[in-house]
Amino acid sequence: MKILLMGHPNVGKSVFFNRLTGANVTESNYPGTTVDYTKGWMKIEGGDVEIVDVPGTFSLDPKDRAEEVAVAMLHENRDAKVISVIDASKIERGLYLAMEIIEEGYPMVIALNMRDVAEDKNIVIDADRLERILGIPVVSTVAIAGEGIKELVSRLKEAKPVNVDDIIANAANASDTTGAADAGGAA
Amino acid sequence: MKKKLSEMDYNEQGTVTGIEKDLRKRVAGMGIRVGKELRMVTKQPIKGPVDVVVDEAETSLGLDMAGKIVVEVTK
Repeated sequence: MKILLMGHPNVGKSVFFNRLTGANVTESNYPGTTVDYTKGWMKIEGGDVEIVDVPGTFSLDPKDRAEEVAVAMLHENRDAKVISVIDASKIERGLYLAMEIIEEGYPMVIALNMRDVAEDKNIVIDADRLERILGIPVVSTVAIAGEGIKELVSRLKEAKPVNVDDIIANAANASDTTGAADAGGAA
Repeated sequence: MKKKLSEMDYNEQGTVTGIEKDLRKRVAGMGIRVGKELRMVTKQPIKGPVDVVVDEAETSLGLDMAGKIVVEVTK
């Protein structure tokens, strides 16, 4: 199995990577470019899993070389699972990218990273509700402190492709009840 | 009062009312879309970028991009 860590630049993908893998990592250039990426291995329930730290990208239509590599890596690994790392204090932008990847049919878990930073800005995210809307695991994390990483790994097996229409329907239902627009906007 | 984002003054706040069609997808990934509240915080001299705050998160736009976004200024 292969797992891609994807997200915007500076959201903590590499911190996740370092937390998840050990010393056995390879750093290399993507063929034909000077963009480098890191890959490593970890054991989940006895099996070896390859983890790739994909360069950060803002969207799936690339605007520079690093973003091109990120998109190419995603498309080359059609059978991979994606850990979408989102900066919880900039959730809408993060969800935009996550939704683009979901639309392409990848199984995904979402890590709402930097929960502490978001809380400092008075942003509190109802991860359970977001999870109900998206239909995939959503875990609040503070990667540099190691919070939430175990939960994220244990929930990787729940990652599955979801239909965007289902998310839209769930979002409509969710806004009927309490009217918060925290997640509906990105769909 | 409607203004282009590139014409907004420091600390002016408003709601996005229009984005030129070819730009819509590009700025959607930055959290800017029609109906969104934003506040202009900085602009750089000599045709430099415009910095705005959307949902507590700062982002900057090229002046030409900012010129294609119309904002209803509220304060």
